[in-house]
Order: sequence, then C-alpha cells, then structure tokens
Amino acid sequence: MADKTPNALLHGSLDALILKTLAGGPRHGYAIARFIEDTSGEAVIVEEGSLYPALYRMERRGWLDAEWGESELGRRVKMYRLTRQGRAQLAAETAAWREFAAGVSKILLAQ
Amino acid sequence: MKRSLRSWLWSVPLEQEVDDELAFHREMRRREGRTPPPDPAVRGTLLTLGRKRDREMRLMQWLEEIWTDVRFAIRQMRCAPGFTVVAVLTLALGIGANSAIFALADAVILRPLPFPHADRLMTVEEWGPQQGGRSRIELLNFHEWRHQSRTFDAMAAAWVPAEGGGPVMTGLDGAAETVSAQTVTPQFFDVLGVAPIMGRTFADTDDSTDPRVIVLSEGFWKRRFGGDPAIVGRMITLDQRPHTVIGVVSDSFEFIRRSSIWRLLPLPTANASMTGRGQCGVCQFLQVVGRLKPGVSPAAAQTEMTAVANALAERNGNTGRPRRVLVTPFRDVLIGTDLRITSMLFLGVVGLVLLLCCANVANLVLARMTIRQRELAVRGALGAGRARIAAQLLTESVVLAGLGGAVGLAFAGGILAVAPRWVPDGLLPGILTLGVDAHVAIFCAGATLLVGVLFGLAPVWHVTHAPLVEAMNAEGRTSTGRGNRVRRLLVIGEIAAAVVVLCGAGLLLRTSLILESIDPGYEAARDHVVSGEVSLRGPRYSTDQAVQQFLDAVQREVEGIPGVSAAGWATTLPMGHSDLGRQSFQVAGAEASSDARPLADLQVVSASYFRTVDVPIVAGRPFTGSDRADTPPVAIVSEALARKYLAGRDPVGARIAISGQGTVEREIVGVARQVKERPDEPDDFVQLYVPSAQVPRGETRLLVRTAQGDVRELVSSIRAAIGRVDRLVPLDHIATLDDVARAGTARPRFRTTLVAAFAVLALALAMVGVSGVLAYSVRQRRREFAVRLALGATAHHIRTLVWSDAARVLAAGVATGLTGALLLGQSVSAFLFGVAPYDPITFAAATIVIALTATAAACLPAWRASRTDPAVVFRE
Repeated sequence: MADKTPNALLHGSLDALILKTLAGGPRHGYAIARFIEDTSGEAVIVEEGSLYPALYRMERRGWLDAEWGESELGRRVKMYRLTRQGRAQLAAETAAWREFAAGVSKILLAQ
Repeated sequence: MKRSLRSWLWSVPLEQEVDDELAFHREMRRREGRTPPPDPAVRGTLLTLGRKRDREMRLMQWLEEIWTDVRFAIRQMRCAPGFTVVAVLTLALGIGANSAIFALADAVILRPLPFPHADRLMTVEEWGPQQGGRSRIELLNFHEWRHQSRTFDAMAAAWVPAEGGGPVMTGLDGAAETVSAQTVTPQFFDVLGVAPIMGRTFADTDDSTDPRVIVLSEGFWKRRFGGDPAIVGRMITLDQRPHTVIGVVSDSFEFIRRSSIWRLLPLPTANASMTGRGQCGVCQFLQVVGRLKPGVSPAAAQTEMTAVANALAERNGNTGRPRRVLVTPFRDVLIGTDLRITSMLFLGVVGLVLLLCCANVANLVLARMTIRQRELAVRGALGAGRARIAAQLLTESVVLAGLGGAVGLAFAGGILAVAPRWVPDGLLPGILTLGVDAHVAIFCAGATLLVGVLFGLAPVWHVTHAPLVEAMNAEGRTSTGRGNRVRRLLVIGEIAAAVVVLCGAGLLLRTSLILESIDPGYEAARDHVVSGEVSLRGPRYSTDQAVQQFLDAVQREVEGIPGVSAAGWATTLPMGHSDLGRQSFQVAGAEASSDARPLADLQVVSASYFRTVDVPIVAGRPFTGSDRADTPPVAIVSEALARKYLAGRDPVGARIAISGQGTVEREIVGVARQVKERPDEPDDFVQLYVPSAQVPRGETRLLVRTAQGDVRELVSSIRAAIGRVDRLVPLDHIATLDDVARAGTARPRFRTTLVAAFAVLALALAMVGVSGVLAYSVRQRRREFAVRLALGATAHHIRTLVWSDAARVLAAGVATGLTGALLLGQSVSAFLFGVAPYDPITFAAATIVIALTATAAACLPAWRASRTDPAVVFRE
C-alpha cells in the first residue's frame, strides 16, 4: 500500500462518515474533519476541498440542516446537524458498507 | 420544512457564509500547526452549490406559503359553511353553464371536423346568375371539373335527399320500407377518408350506367340484418332491383345527415334525359366535395375552378348566363352560419351570467370581509405585509373558485348528457358530438382561475385600501364606506347585465311570437291536416300514366275513409319543405332579359290540393279534373308573382314558360293566395303551381284533411288505403301541418327558450345582489335610523329612505343596461324577424320587469329598517 491515497478510496464513503459523525450531535465543519481524523487514527485525512462541497450537497438533499452557532472560541460558526432523512440515509449507507466490506473481505482475506 | 424557514430567517449573504466558514476552518488548522495548502477552487464550488440551495429554498418557501394559505382558506370555508355553499353553488352554476355552452361553441367553431385532414375538405358549388342561390350541378359538369382540376387530390359528388327519402327495400320479411340513402360517385369515401369496418367501399371499377353495389351503415347493418357477419356479398332488393352489399362503414361517419345505405350514381348515358325520374335524376342538387392537395390554398382552388367552369361554359355556348363556381370549406357548409352565430350568442349571454355570478360572490365575500376586518387588522399589526394579506385573500378566492369549478364541470357534464333531448333536430349536425373533453376541461380551469381572481380582487382592493388601525378600533360601528361603494358599483353592474340579457331575451321572444303567429296563407286548421311522403320507383312506375293512376286511385281510396273531408297531392308542404325548389320562368310577352331570369318556387299539386289545405283562389279558377295530360297546359300563380311580373295586366289568361319543361307555354288560369314555405319568408316570394295530372311526380306528398277529431287516428286507415292500391308503397314522414309549422320555428324557439332561461337566471342573480347590498346598508345605517326614529321619524319615512336608496341603484343600473343593450342590439339583429334591435316595447318591458323585481327585492330590507328599535340599538 505504498501509494495509499485515502481521499480517492474515500470518495464514495465520505458522506457516510460525515453522517456517522453527526449522529453524535451537531458539529461545525472543522470539528467534523477533526473527529474523522482522530477516530481513524489519522488514517483518513479530510481536506476542505472535499469536506465542504460534501456538506453543501448533503444540506441541499435535506440530510443535513445548518444553523449559525457559536464555536468554542466564541466565533460565529455554521453548525450542521442530522435531519430525519439524514438518519435514514446513514442507516442505508451503513448496511450497504457492511455488505460491501464483507464481500471484499471474503476475497482479500481468503486463506 | 422547519429547516428552510430557520435558514431563511437567520440567513446572511451567501458569500459571507462561505468566507466565514472557510476562514474558520483554515485558522483552526493553523492553530493545530498543520497548514495544508488552501484549495483555491473550493470557494467557487461552494458558492455555486449555495446559490442552487438558496434558489430551491425560496421556491420551497413560496410553495409552503401557498400551501399554508390554501389550508387556511379551507379552514375559513369550514368556519362559514353557509357562505361557502352559497358561493360554490353560485360559481358552479356560472362556470357549469359556461362550460356546457363552450362545448357547443368548441364543436361548432374551433374543433376540426372528425375527418382526416379535415381542413383540406372543400365543397364546390355552382351559383346561378341571379341572386337566386345555389343551382343544380350537372353530373356531366362535375366529371369535367374532376378531370380538369389540378388543385384537388380527388373530388366526389353526392346526392343527399332533403329528408331521408330514398329507395324502397323489399323482400326481407315481405314488407316494403323506405331506406334513407345517399347516392354518390365512387371516390366519395376516399375523398372523405373513410375506411370500411367490413368489406370495401366503392372503387372506380364499380362505375357503370347501372351500378348494383351498395355500402351499408353500421347501424342499419346491425338493426336490419342483426349484424350478419356474412353481409358482404349478400343480395338486397332496392326498388325491385337486386343490389350487392360490398361493405359496411362505421356509424361515426355521417355526410350532412344520417344515411342507411350508399349507392352509386349511374354514369350518364349518351341519351341521358335531364329530368330523369325514378332513379335520382342527373341534375339533382349534387353536393360536390373535394380534397385539396396538401399545401394548396382554397383561394388557389377557387381561381382554378372558376377558370375550369368558364372554359366549360364557353365550350357549351353558355356564355350568356354566367354561373359562378364557389369553393368553400366543407366545415362552413356543414355547420352553417346560423349555428355558428347562435353559439356565439349563447356564449355571450352565458358570459354575462357568469359575470353576474362573480359579482354576487364578490358581494358575499365583501360582506364577510367586514366580519373578518378585525382578524385582518390583527394580522397586519403582527407584521403581515399588505402584499402577504392580499396574496392570502386571493388564494382564498381561487380555492373557492376551484371548488366552484369542480362542481361546475360536473354540472356541465350533466347538462351535456341531457342536452341532446332539448336541441331541435337538424340544428346540430349529427357528426358533432358534445361532451366534457380536454378542451372543455381546459376552458373550465381557465374560467375558474379568471373568476377566482376577478371576484378575489374585490376584497383585496378593500383590504389594501382600508386603514388597518382604524379597522381594529372600529368594532364595526362605523364603516369605512369604501366597501359599500364597491358593493354598490357591483350591483349597478349586475342590474345592467340583467337588463342587457332581458332585452335580448325580449327581442327573441317577440321574434318567436311573430313567427309563430304568422299567417301561413292556408285556412285549414293546422292540426286537421296530416301529410305523408310516397316515393314511386322501379319498373312498375316508369310511365307517367302509371304514376297518375296510382295518385288518382289513392286519392279515391283515402277520400272514401270515414272522417276524411279531402285529400290531395303536393310537392311542397305549406310552412315546410319544398321538393322541387326554385325554377326560373318567363312570362310570355314580357321583355326577355338574359341575365336576370325570375325564380319561383315550383309546386306540382293535384286538383284537390287547394281544397284540402284551403288555399283561397283570389282570381280565376283552381285546377279541376278536366286539366289532364291531353288538355292545354295550365298553371296557377301566387299573388306575389301576379303583382311583380304581371303588373298592369290580367294575370288570368297570360302565358308562362317554366324552365326544365321544354318550351311548353302554360296558360295561367288562376291566382292563389300567398302560402308561406318558411315563417320568415318575405311577402314577395313568388310561387307557381302546375297540375300533377299534366306533370305527374312519383315523389310527392299526400295531404289528408279531417272534418274534425284527431287526424292522427286516421293514419293507419290511410296506410291501409294505399296498401289496397300498391302493397309495396310505404307512407313515410307522417306529420300534421301543425308539426310541420312547429318544426319550422324550432330554431328560433330553441334560441328564445335558452336565452329566456338565462335571462331569468340573470334576473334572479341581480335581485339577490340588490337585496344583499340593501340589507347590508340597512345594517350599517341602524344607528342613523335609530336616531331618526327617536327624533320622531315614522316607519314609513324610514322605508322611503331605503326605497330611494334602491331606486338610485336601480336607475343607474337600468340606464347603463339600456345603453349596453342599444350598443349590442346590432349583434343580435341576425336572429330577429319583424322587430327592430332597439325595439322600444321590448326595452320598456325589460325596464318594467327589472323595476318590479327590484322593488320586491327591496321589500325585506325596507321592512327591517322600519322595524329598527332605537332602544336596542342605543344600548349596544
């Protein structure tokens, strides 16, 4: 895995990661990125170029809801939260991932 | 849903939103100590995405507002069920009636005829040199046109008998029956684009001098042959000659009128007589219909046909009497001007009724506005803009109209389902079907929206102009006066519209009355004479003698029936049909002018005819039994003919030559009183009678008069009498002269009935408006009345106040209405007979009717006003 490019690998599953992150409660964009990076042990790096477009798209689709809140530093920031539709989408994507991962595992990890 | 509202409320400009978010992200990264290179493209991407998002949100918000308004409107309607029911029914009435009439106008004016490429179908007619009208088309001429025309793809001729008359079919179950038939050239079905549902239609190879192939209509095949699947190839006896069925066409096809069978016109033989009898003559009134080549304009076809006809006339040496050839769209010929303008008239009248419905609902809504004034004021105070409130009120109106439209469409469907029973026969070509279709639904939706906005504007105007704070404090004690003024104007408009419709109905009614009471010229009681049609065909009646023997024998047999006082034969029914039509004639000794030969309605009658229907002979003598084929030819003329063409000389003894009968000159032996063929016929219409003994006609009508009692009871005896002479001759189209006369006035009567019904409706609607606005104004002036009463005014005085209020509104409405009626008068002049479009009697009658009903409508409010109890009012 010398030329591992997490963003390329992630392309299809970033949405699912964001949804999962927001399942824990409303967060602003930076906090979402940090959470994913921290939880994955820095295996997944989320840059602004992929994060924010994904957030805007998901807001349009009605999975996320945005409102102005206050950051830890007292600055005005946009907070994202999961909508009911977003929760349903998360469940669907999780199920799909489970199936996909199981399938890939059967091949890659075969003895 | 909440999402969009929140982001909307707390939104900041999109660019700031994006910049702030990215700046925060980058600063946090910097603090972390990790500064990845900023992505320059991301700002643009986010702006694009954000803009899309905002657009969608605005749309969502807008839809949400509408939805909220609609739900609110429905709640409002539930709160006031009485108001809602009245308003919806009023609108349904207006919209339903309009949709039904539109269905008629659509079929008549807008929709193409149900033929493939119907816009390419043209009729070709020949018009005589006189103003006289359409003339006969000679079959030989038709063949010339057909072969020489380059603008037409194909052309066909058809002979369509006036009223179903046709060949006699025998042999099925021994009985003889007349079958309605049209006689056509082989291209007929191809020109019209009609495919058979079974077998084939005519082909050029069927053409012959004695064609024996026929095509059946679907209905006739099912009714008379039980839908026999092996009908093609079956032999049928018509006029005692065998014919072969070659095909069946669908009942959805109809050419001018219904027909059971179609047969072929025989090719003209070398020695074709121009007045052939028995078979349809070669110079009958042929209908010529052609299909233009794609892209050819009717004008081009007209130019070409004129040239073709002129060349033909020149070749025949007929240059002296030019006939014009006219190419007209088939649609115009089929539908006719009368029907077109009638449907326009109905549309105009029913449109006025819809406006009345609108005005009444607007009045209702305005009345409700005074109740809701405080609600609206509170909304305004809470920050709803006037535009927002106006949008909401308009939504309420449109929702109300929508309900009205839905009920109205159902109502229109109901009307159209039963309408065919009320429409007189022959007014609507059978090929036009009326029903609720996409066109009508679209019209109904459009009318609904228009109506909703129209009456919705009243409350909107009221609200956007009323000072809200005042309204909030008002508690309904004082009125702003504005709503009242709008309501008065509406009622004045309603009265005016009702006056216009009343005047129109009045004019039509006078026309109808004049037409019904017209002196037909004969003196026999209308319900004492019955007529029936016979048609003598086949080899048995190929000679004049045979025909004459039949006519004489039947007359003898019928006159022998107890109760019959007279019987006779005629080719024209008084106030009814004329079989021979107009013929040109020439008075011997009069100056012959080549280009304006006079025309007369030619009638072949038996000697007993004048006695049977009691037409007075004002000079000379009637025909007698001694006017026979072998005695000198005679004729009787009508008063108008004597007046116009024999002025200054004794008509009796003058000589006259009638075209189509060779060069025979007839001696005029008598002058008969004018007999009308149509009720609106001008008095100077000239008529000419010749005795049937000298020109026997096998297609004629029997007239039987009874001394008293119901003449219809004699019909079976009359049939039996004919049967004793020839079992195979049926008597068709039985009708009393009363039936005939009534059929002649059916159209004006139908128009009058419909417009009068609308006038009654308009009157009722206007009166509801008057009553409503007076009641409202009385309620508002209660304090004033109470003060007046307290100061000593009598109840009578108060009533007078209300009456004079009503009188002012009425006067303004009537003045406007009469002006409108005067201006619109010309547009109905085509429907009038014997009455001027500005007929003062009608206008006065309309004014009296509306004044009386308005007075009645003002009674209740006036009585209420006079019963105001000052003690109660002051305590409020």
